[in-house]
Amino acid sequence: MKISGSFLVPVPQERAFRLLQDPVVLARSMPGCDTLERIGDNEYHMKMKMVLASISGLFDGKVRIADSRPHSSFRLIVEGAGRIGFMKGDGLLTLTPVEGGTNVGYEGTVEVGGTIAAVGQRLLDTTARMMIKRFFEKLTAESASSGAFSPTAIL
Amino acid sequence: MIPQDFEYSAPASLKEALELIATGERKILAGGMSLIPLMKLRLAAPEHVVDLARVPGLDYITESGGTVSIGATVTHHDLESSPVIRGRAPLLAEAAGHIGDTQVRNMGTIGGSIAHADPAADYPASLLALEAQIRLVSAKSDRTVPASDFFLDAFTTAIEPGELVLEVLVPTEEPKEGYRYEKVAHPASGFAVVGVAARIKKAGAKISMARIGVTGMSSRAFRALEAEKLLESGAGVAQAAATVAEGQEANQDLYASADYRRHLARIWAARALSVALSRAS
Amino acid sequence: MATTTTKPETLFGKKIRRREDPRLLTGTATYLDDIKMPGMHHACVVRSPHAAARIKSLNVKPALARPGVTAVFTGADVKDLGPIPCGASLPGLRTPHHHILAQDRVYLVGHPVAVVVATDRYIAADAVDLIEVDYEVLPAVSDPEKALAPGAPAVHPQWPDNTAFTFHQEGGDITGAFAQAEVVVKQRITSQRLIPTSMETRGVVADWHAGDKSLTLWSSTQIPHLLRTLLAGILGMPENHLRVITPEVGGGFGSKLNVYAEEALMAFVSMRIGKPVKWVESRRENFLCTIHGRGHVDYFELAARRDGTMLGLRLKLIQDLGAYHQLLTPAIPTLSVLMMPGLYKFKNISADIVGVFTNCTPTDAYRGAGRPEATHGIERMVDILAAELKMDPAELRRKNFVGKDEFPFQTATGLAYDSGNYVLPLDTALAEIDYPALRREQQQARASGKLMGIGLSTYGEICAIGPSPATPAGGWESATVKIEPSGKITVMTGASPHGQGEETTFAQIVADELGVDIDDVVVVHGDTAIVQYGIGTFGSRGTAIGGTALYYALQELKGKVKKFGAMLLECDDVALAGGKCVDERSGKSVPFAQVAAASYRAMKLPPNTQPGLVATYFWEPPNFTFPFGAHVVITDVDRETGQVSIRRYVAVDDCGKIINPLIVAGQVHGGVAQGLGQALWEQAVYDENGQLLSGELTDYALPRAHMMPWIESSHTETPSPVNPLGVKGVGEAGTIGCSPAVVNSVVDALSHLGVRHIDMPLTPEKVWKLIQGGRA
Repeated sequence: MKISGSFLVPVPQERAFRLLQDPVVLARSMPGCDTLERIGDNEYHMKMKMVLASISGLFDGKVRIADSRPHSSFRLIVEGAGRIGFMKGDGLLTLTPVEGGTNVGYEGTVEVGGTIAAVGQRLLDTTARMMIKRFFEKLTAESASSGAFSPTAIL
Repeated sequence: MIPQDFEYSAPASLKEALELIATGERKILAGGMSLIPLMKLRLAAPEHVVDLARVPGLDYITESGGTVSIGATVTHHDLESSPVIRGRAPLLAEAAGHIGDTQVRNMGTIGGSIAHADPAADYPASLLALEAQIRLVSAKSDRTVPASDFFLDAFTTAIEPGELVLEVLVPTEEPKEGYRYEKVAHPASGFAVVGVAARIKKAGAKISMARIGVTGMSSRAFRALEAEKLLESGAGVAQAAATVAEGQEANQDLYASADYRRHLARIWAARALSVALSRAS
Repeated sequence: MATTTTKPETLFGKKIRRREDPRLLTGTATYLDDIKMPGMHHACVVRSPHAAARIKSLNVKPALARPGVTAVFTGADVKDLGPIPCGASLPGLRTPHHHILAQDRVYLVGHPVAVVVATDRYIAADAVDLIEVDYEVLPAVSDPEKALAPGAPAVHPQWPDNTAFTFHQEGGDITGAFAQAEVVVKQRITSQRLIPTSMETRGVVADWHAGDKSLTLWSSTQIPHLLRTLLAGILGMPENHLRVITPEVGGGFGSKLNVYAEEALMAFVSMRIGKPVKWVESRRENFLCTIHGRGHVDYFELAARRDGTMLGLRLKLIQDLGAYHQLLTPAIPTLSVLMMPGLYKFKNISADIVGVFTNCTPTDAYRGAGRPEATHGIERMVDILAAELKMDPAELRRKNFVGKDEFPFQTATGLAYDSGNYVLPLDTALAEIDYPALRREQQQARASGKLMGIGLSTYGEICAIGPSPATPAGGWESATVKIEPSGKITVMTGASPHGQGEETTFAQIVADELGVDIDDVVVVHGDTAIVQYGIGTFGSRGTAIGGTALYYALQELKGKVKKFGAMLLECDDVALAGGKCVDERSGKSVPFAQVAAASYRAMKLPPNTQPGLVATYFWEPPNFTFPFGAHVVITDVDRETGQVSIRRYVAVDDCGKIINPLIVAGQVHGGVAQGLGQALWEQAVYDENGQLLSGELTDYALPRAHMMPWIESSHTETPSPVNPLGVKGVGEAGTIGCSPAVVNSVVDALSHLGVRHIDMPLTPEKVWKLIQGGRA
């Protein structure tokens, strides 16, 4: 499944770039993320609990940041597997300064397997878009509470 | 097709039910038409299920002071066949008749359906067009939320932890109003690929009020406010219907692309409005 | 039917209500999942969520630690059993070793990796989630044409071209035909993957008796005897230590004409734990692990003269085989080739099949098995040719039909069509709808912007499969008839009916032949310990072959009954009628029961006659049978949405002589439903990684009662000379005749917009886009 879109993050480009790669911010912004532990350079082990109405599932996976071109683009690779299936998202995030902040464009693919793919087909697209929206909304909120933000913190 | 272990409670009163759901992760079971399939597929694995089946007095349909009150455990079949609903909120009766199949309509409830908030469910379009209110109660609170603030996103509602849907409050339709619910049903799931609820009031030859709710097209049901305004200011059905999908993201799946869903929303809005208009006097 | 026409009242051709139905309708039938045994354990299968992966490690300990879990078995435990057999033989066929459980690699989503055995089903289901499998995910391929492209991931690493076989068949002079052609039409036509979706999923109960080293296995199968033979081979067990029983079977449609891993696996589990064990397939497993049907990409080229004379047909057929060969997987497309000329008399054909491995569920026989694909192809091509030549599609068909005096007709594919009158059902159907009036209505509709279409399909099929030289496991069928000492009659058929109604039709045959009441007849099937060896029910063979075996067994038995009757009545010959043996000269008679009792009591025996009244007959058919028919479909297409609605569905089928019109009607209705499913709704969709996206009934759109049009069904009756009953078979006719009629109708509705072909299913969006494109 291909996904693409863009969000406005109301902070300058350089700051948006740092926010988007900060594990603390990522952990708080990714829907359902319980823990994010560093396991290597730009690589984190993640546990998440996805809850969507009655549907819920624990996922165990990895978050990886690659092809980082400071302040303009990077790839975010998120993969996870659990009893109800597995997913892998691979997206290129592109940052451009605009009035009022930074436009973060994303373009990539989401692969889903297992039960969620087989029985949730009707809702995959809606759900993926909703998760991304929630991520950016949380990120925007995080960027506003600047005091809580610590760029060097690693869990 | 076997669910995981779960605890099960069947409280005998509303008070007891609210106390049970006040703490911990509790899942409310009403008709079970959404929850049970998910549990059998193990997509849902609640630790504790609270069944409302034995809570008395939640399956009422009453009318007073221009409002129809519908208890949370009223089934789709009850709504579809209720003389009160058919007489005073016929749009809702028409929508209820489109839900699932006979078995689902005999078991499924309005409270369960709206709390689940499937983006392709039938009720939300009508509840938006009817400007219904949803009453939510918890052990400590009792509040009423307009339908437009209730459906937030796919499977996401204004229900807070500890709350349950107590009743749905629908302002009565006037007998002179025209109404219509039209639906493109998915051939496998029966869910609305697109569903459009329309209400029209006329003053002479002119449209004095138009309400349009659209479900299935987007991640949540929405009101087509622009189209309503156009109709109320003298525009024709075709011109108004052409705007219903504007500014909305559209879902896509194996059956229908986002563009086709938008197209269907426009076509079926026009058809629903035409019927509603012909029924208005 | 000389033997029955002499009687005043026969049941052949009568609408007798199905004797099977009361137990089915009242919920008192015993299906596999109704079987409960003392000490019975329950099994759940751990399956791969990936379409291609290496199993790096497998940890079963957490599952074993769960109270109630008795055992967990993995690939290592069963590596010496098997393989799961493929009965098809084609030159150069590559057959991957099909283990009962995955060894170090999985090849499709749903691939069985381990089995959990527990004291109850809930514990077994929970324990599946406790098994830890570490997969190294590998690239997969799900599209057969992509699988053939250079550099595609190899499904089986030893065969990087993903080609299981190529097969060429040619008849006549195809080069000459195309050289002479004044017009050649070409089209790529797909027959999408379908999921058979029987109402009852598969299931197995196995019960090992350590004392006598015997195993009883219940399975929801179409082929109990073949299963027993093949399972004995997989398990390395003497065949006579194995008993296979089919309880009530809730539909198969070919999907239970197979030998599956779980059948062998449950036998193995029961032997290892020394207890009976049950496994019942979930719907999700059914979608992933029971065979799929169709899966064709066909490239057709049809050569003709300008006057409409069809000269020759070329076909390049790409068959999506899936990851493994099940029992008949590679053989199915060869049936398509046999049927590719349809009802037409041109004698030049050429076909090339490429069988392609993909990381998907294996394809195999599904209602029609190869013949719907072929019929869809030729019937679409005839319409495309008609459009090209601006000829009426009915007229073009008439011009090319094999004539009714040309039978037996030798086809370019090596078949001998037994009998037919192809114009008759077509003309009957066209008269029924008033074809000229509809064409006029269509002109008017077009003028006012409405879209309506008239679609024809004149189909032929190969039934009564088949003569043994042409059938992998033998193509005969068997019957035993016993007259019990009380005079009641028991039939044992080697065919294993599972919805075809032979408990009724076979009893009708017996009642007519022996002159007894139908209620005195019981038909038994599906237990290898009771019923003599048989082949099974598939390929519309049950009545045409099994019924004929019964007919011949009855002739043998009648001779013996008459001997005893004549002995008791002290005359030379007797007739059988009204439940009696009658001496027609003296008018004296003796009731059947008395004759039966005398034969078992054996106080006195006719000369050279053994006691008892039993006859068994194994009948080998000399040929297939070739039913045919015409389906006409009138559709209205919503111009704004692309939604297709069927205004009228007229089916005129010729399945030879009809024993029971009610049962034939049921077969036509069910067949048409599944044909409509393919034409309009059903499609197994895989993503690029081999995940089945239409993995449940929420996305896979089966036809339901409210989606069905009224089917106007009637028949012409052209008896088959292949068997004495004159019957041909009707199990698959509806499916085969349906899909091309529907697609031809919708293409006809859109033809003036420049639309020439639409691939199935005709989803509204697809049709809508074509309407938009046509306008542009």
